Amino acid sequence: MLRLQIAIAAGRLAGRASQLLGRGGSAVPGLVAERIDPRLIDRLVASIPRVVVVTGTNGKTTTTKLLVGMLESAGRRVVTNPTGSNLARGVATRLIEVARRGRVDTDIAVFEVDEAAVRALGPRLRPAVTVVTNLARDQLDRYGELDTTAAHVRSALEHAAIAVLNADDPMVAGLAGTAGADRFFGGSDPVRAQMPDDRTLYGDAGGPRPGPEPSVLVRAAEPAGEGQRAALTVDGEDLEVRLLLPGVYNAYNAAAAVAAATALGVEAAVAAGAAAGVVPAWGRGQTVEYRGRRVRLLLVKNPAGFNQAIRLLAGEEPGAQVMISINDHTADGRDVSWLWDARVEDLAGTGHRFVTSGTRALDMAVRLKYAGAAAEWAEPDPRTALDRFVDGVAAGGTATLVPTYTAMLDLLHLLQPDTHRREAWT
Amino acid sequence: MRLVIAHLYPAEMNIYGDTGNVIALSRRLEWRGIDAVVERIAVGDPYDFTAADVVVAGGGEDRAQLAVAADLQRRAGDIREAVAAGTVFLTICGTYQLFGHRFVTHDGDEMPGIGVFDLETHGGDERMIGNIVLDTEWGPLVGFENHSGRTFLGEGQQPLGMVRKGYGNNERDFDEGAVAANAFGSYLHGALLPKNPAFADELLRRALVQRHGDDAVLGPLDDGVERAAADAAATRP
Ligand SMILES: [Zn+2]
Repeated sequence: MLRLQIAIAAGRLAGRASQLLGRGGSAVPGLVAERIDPRLIDRLVASIPRVVVVTGTNGKTTTTKLLVGMLESAGRRVVTNPTGSNLARGVATRLIEVARRGRVDTDIAVFEVDEAAVRALGPRLRPAVTVVTNLARDQLDRYGELDTTAAHVRSALEHAAIAVLNADDPMVAGLAGTAGADRFFGGSDPVRAQMPDDRTLYGDAGGPRPGPEPSVLVRAAEPAGEGQRAALTVDGEDLEVRLLLPGVYNAYNAAAAVAAATALGVEAAVAAGAAAGVVPAWGRGQTVEYRGRRVRLLLVKNPAGFNQAIRLLAGEEPGAQVMISINDHTADGRDVSWLWDARVEDLAGTGHRFVTSGTRALDMAVRLKYAGAAAEWAEPDPRTALDRFVDGVAAGGTATLVPTYTAMLDLLHLLQPDTHRREAWT
Repeated sequence: MRLVIAHLYPAEMNIYGDTGNVIALSRRLEWRGIDAVVERIAVGDPYDFTAADVVVAGGGEDRAQLAVAADLQRRAGDIREAVAAGTVFLTICGTYQLFGHRFVTHDGDEMPGIGVFDLETHGGDERMIGNIVLDTEWGPLVGFENHSGRTFLGEGQQPLGMVRKGYGNNERDFDEGAVAANAFGSYLHGALLPKNPAFADELLRRALVQRHGDDAVLGPLDDGVERAAADAAATRP
């Protein structure tokens, strides 16, 4: 116990020091504290009645946010990790922040956990529920093969009481029977057909649902305002869910969150109602004001996520103005081959206008050219590109940014110089 | 005029954007008014390689490569005949390895190849990952490599190029890829052809001559964006 308290104190001190140095960096306290007490996470988690782990390739952050909103609407006190801090040090940092006398006083914790970190971290969190959103190819230079990622998630699920699984994703459906019990979410056939997974990347989509009939089903989803209206059936009960988040993939995230919330005893109607109050996480369909224009951010990290953004854009009125910003730093994946795995061809003939930026602005311009949706220009520098792009959008109009992770940080820093660091930085 | 592009194992060997090679060949034909017919060949599909003008195949995950290795054995005679007849082949990473004599795993297990190229590959622990630049007969080629196999060329085997930056076939020899008649093998993803238009056109030119004779010509295209992208990629760490 003494070692734990020394570790917590040292972690907090290190956190303050790094903030004073202007480093932000929410990983620092956790890193320092875990070095002093390697069992810090295990000890603090032992004082939390129930823990939920949310993992998968795409949608972790949004699903976590939705689930937290649902649990809070049901009157639960919830601890969660900030956007993107999804490795052990991020979880440790959050636990240190909320610990009092070596304990965490909360009803429940919801942690987003990186799919490559979940093998080691998942069991330490002793989750009552583990949600797996989807498993897709992601940054092969960092994560390696998808089979390996699936094995990591499988080994984490062996320690979960309940697994909430995507019935429509073959890799996730294949994890059935690993946890104590399974609860499935998914979409009706027309909804499922709009949800890109790795098979749709290569034209092998269609066919029967890979998993069992889901307990939480997205029957329909249609755009409404900047978000959408989704019709859900939750254990036989029909409900409507309003979301501030666009795209069918976010209807899936809502279904995953409802499946987890109801597994934790929240009434389905309460969970569905709470979704309407959840605002998009940074870059996940969030809209900000900038120089009299509305700027919408759609983060993309891999071909499946890119296909979701493409699907969303292809369904919009002609004339949308879009800047695609591709960086190749380590956090983005240094390999940009994945641009060729996405269905960029679906943007041809949409009548939208495209420009590109980022360290790989020219790679993206080549991709668009070969897709038949040529970019009007390519400008690697984010500041120059953003200004030129926004100048070309009519006052009061909407501009859409489609950035990779570090490109999003660059753009947010320009769009909102004061506010983004604390929340977006990992 | 038309050319047939056969995409070998599009579902199985597809994870590093190698589909971009098929897209590049097709568009560069269409932009010149030449029809491009793409045929997709999965493991087990019957296929007559004399129908193809360019055969393209990519890299995949280990499990997929095992299935593909067995399938290639059944086609070995047909493919070697097509190579001898001058059909153009572009094989990347996993399929490039299987176009050699064998792949020897870390534990000494052997996966036989089909011997189009005089080379063999040995599994390693460390992956060779990063941006890569080669010097070749057709100018510099720029791409991204991601492989744990180390490929060693036989005595007389001509490489595709010499490594200016990156690893290439292995970390010792500074050579990259292999060429035999009109068959090319390489570790370069990227995808390779879109950012290396001169090399893409070299493949198309050879295929056109094979099918339509010496007077078949490829008109020029504006490759400004492609070249600028290659130059930018070559400067990335
Ligand atoms: Zn490779």
